[in-house]
Amino acid sequence: MENKKLCLALFSGSVDKLVAAGVILGGAAAEDMDVEIFVLLQAAFAFNKENAMTNDRVAEITDKKEEFLASLDRLNTAHWTETFAMVKEMINVKIHVCGFAGKVWNGYKKEDFIDIVDDICGIGEYMTAAEEADINLFI
Amino acid sequence: MTQEELTAITVDKSVDARGTSCPGPLLAAKKAMGEIQSGQILEVLSADEGTKKDIPKWATKKKHGYLGTVEESGFFKIFIKKG
Repeated sequence: MENKKLCLALFSGSVDKLVAAGVILGGAAAEDMDVEIFVLLQAAFAFNKENAMTNDRVAEITDKKEEFLASLDRLNTAHWTETFAMVKEMINVKIHVCGFAGKVWNGYKKEDFIDIVDDICGIGEYMTAAEEADINLFI
Repeated sequence: MTQEELTAITVDKSVDARGTSCPGPLLAAKKAMGEIQSGQILEVLSADEGTKKDIPKWATKKKHGYLGTVEESGFFKIFIKKG
């Protein structure tokens, strides 16, 4: 039986949404799904090598940012990059960075991004993956 | 299985995922399941309330046998027989 497909469009690039994406990826791993991740506009900032570990933006309830980040530490939550990498070892995950988004945040080649990134892509690839996926999420 | 039977069970593998939150215990269960043979029994220790429901559902969906859960203080043990 062919694996179910998850298509994850990451737009925000904020730590709260990336952690949520990591949890969903964990669920996909438990279900042996194939995953295509598309790093769109603001998320390309977070996936840039220069920013991945220092980016501490949150998108929601920003007045509770410190409490949120402290809770992640208290719960020994792995950094989202580690979660993504771990899931990538367990199931078939491809991570594509939108070429335009990359350029907005000064990333031009695959090497400008963290190691888990597979390639730079165009919107056509996203549309195809979205069309073929069983689950589509925009985070 | 009854609580007494579960407590007396000899497991083939035990994985302690008490330090992690969802989806940590679920992924720990999945990984450990790949390391045992069909018919062998896995015990997962978890302190994450969400995975208490998750792991049995996942196990059943993946055609493993969910044997039951034993509550300890502050955590629980989930028993699964590999299908």
